[in-house]
Amino acid sequence: MQVPPHETNSNHRRAEPGRMPGLPRLRAALTLMTALALAALMLPAQAAAESEVAVITPYLAQPGTQFYVEGFEAAATEHDWKVDVIDTQGDVAAVISRIEDAVTQQVDAIVINVDPVQVAAGLIAAKDAGIPVIGMDSGNDPLLIANVTSNGYAMAAETTAYVVNRLGGAGRVVMFVFDAFPPVQARGVIADAIFANTPDIVIIERVTPDVADGGIADSRAQMEAILAANPDAGSIAAVWAAWDQPALGALQAIEAAGRDDEGIVIVGMDANPEAREAIAAGGNFEASMAQDFAGIGSAAADIVARTLAGESVRESVVYVPTRLITRSNASEAD
Amino acid sequence: MPAHRRLLIAAVVIAALAALWLALPDTFFTPGNLLNVSRQISMLCVVACTMTIVMAMGDFDLSVGSMASLAGVVAAVLFTQDQSIAVAVAAALAIGLVGGLINGLLVSYIGILPFVATLGTLTIYSGAAFLISGGKTVFGSDIPDAFGGFARGGLPLDAIGLQGVRLPALSVLALGVVAVVWYLLERRVFGRHLYVMGGNREAARLAGIPVRRLRLYAFGLTGLGAAAAGLMLASRVASANPTQGAGLMLDAIAAVFLGMTLHRSAEPHVLGTLAGVVLLGLLDNGLTQLSVDSYVREILVGMLVIAAVGLAGFSRERSRRN
Repeated sequence: MQVPPHETNSNHRRAEPGRMPGLPRLRAALTLMTALALAALMLPAQAAAESEVAVITPYLAQPGTQFYVEGFEAAATEHDWKVDVIDTQGDVAAVISRIEDAVTQQVDAIVINVDPVQVAAGLIAAKDAGIPVIGMDSGNDPLLIANVTSNGYAMAAETTAYVVNRLGGAGRVVMFVFDAFPPVQARGVIADAIFANTPDIVIIERVTPDVADGGIADSRAQMEAILAANPDAGSIAAVWAAWDQPALGALQAIEAAGRDDEGIVIVGMDANPEAREAIAAGGNFEASMAQDFAGIGSAAADIVARTLAGESVRESVVYVPTRLITRSNASEAD
Repeated sequence: MPAHRRLLIAAVVIAALAALWLALPDTFFTPGNLLNVSRQISMLCVVACTMTIVMAMGDFDLSVGSMASLAGVVAAVLFTQDQSIAVAVAAALAIGLVGGLINGLLVSYIGILPFVATLGTLTIYSGAAFLISGGKTVFGSDIPDAFGGFARGGLPLDAIGLQGVRLPALSVLALGVVAVVWYLLERRVFGRHLYVMGGNREAARLAGIPVRRLRLYAFGLTGLGAAAAGLMLASRVASANPTQGAGLMLDAIAAVFLGMTLHRSAEPHVLGTLAGVVLLGLLDNGLTQLSVDSYVREILVGMLVIAAVGLAGFSRERSRRN
């Protein structure tokens, strides 16, 4: 990508006599831009529904987020709401901008799936305009009507206790965490506490994988390095991951290194379809926690409905139950 | 570029915006919404305008996004150590300047291609941001209220008849940066030399222009701008995490390209860049209000950049022939 456009850049493509080489391109560019303008004109033609709800998240690429957005949309269809799902692709500041836009657009309610503290500027704009904002697994905040979520502390306690019990209270453990995202950070805190309360458990690595690629590939690479640094059988007893993608990456690394017969116990969290498949296969990936994502989506829709009906919602956090997934129940539907 | 073609681009852009206006008669071209947009684009504006400085001499800087993240993280971590806002802001800006000068050294004195050099420092600054923050988001009571409040504040416009509307502080800051960069590029010898270097670096060197030193300075300014944008971003989200500036780089380059299509000689100039930034911001805002799918929005913006630059590219070829 050498940009200098005003640099003399060879004299390729001399003018062919009798022909204007640029004209078709000019026309193509014009057509494109006209199409843009037309697209902008045609789009608002959708019929006005009962109520309009904007769902704004930077994390739609994460499987969990997709499930609760689907759960929310299913419930919204019953209420005859028009739902706009807006994904800012990891950009938290853009969430503020899109909340401001939704406020300008005068939607009836906004649902967010992002740390509310970081988008406070947008939440204040919504509050000033009297538009209710509901958190969908976002974190708790007084500017939200309520946050609907799973109990991350309880989930982390279950998978961590599972690891401690499987190891008989002793062994070397690799942790995959992500402290930049508060709900996942809370899981790590509980795991830290339970491992610290078990004297013969040693944490040999506490890895924060790069999640730009979805989290599996970098976790696999990091786990491969850790396996190389700990070559002896039994030198790694377990992998505790704060969500499923690093657990899957670690599983790939362990299998690729031919060390899947050492009994390394892997636990993840969220029980996404890939994780369930791995758990059902009966290999190293032994357990995960199933959040009821669709349930979080529909519970959030329930709070929206109650708010739109004029009820003042008293509970600031709504927990949707979770359950431990192991080989015995991995294939069951929730 | 011939005037009629620039006019054509301007006409199509105006048609697109008019279409948005027609579709959103009550909420698009309102003072409140436009001021909102001005705040939304203020960070991109600062990065794109300072990016224009290096692009004027035919270079570019891929590290601006991770520098913005790094600057935000540096300030936030200093806040956690009870440093004052002045100290934290000064330290973050200093990091930006130094980081930019490092880019300049690599490109200018060591002679590494800007693409490779700034790709390398992109990774280094991003890694540094993770290292300093420990991968965490710094937020909440660690961030002084005055720092987060700055981005929410602004000058009341009641005096000119806009009751309850404020001119956002971030927008004022961005306009200040536009003015400074405009002065440097359009009114100082420094700027004129950069454009000469962009035209033909070897000729510029033979003409006695201190090419190496000017490239060093230009990259330093771009780094400083990236750090300023990172601080604005951190103020806006009242927090800092090691990835939050990542989206700025590509949008900034796109804005500069869009701006170039509006200029007579298809060179990067700061007012053109400003127009590019405003266009991107208005499209984002308008299409969101129209409930256009966010992925479709991205495709449309990409098509717009290609269409506009396609037009400008055509005219460049032609002007060379003539």
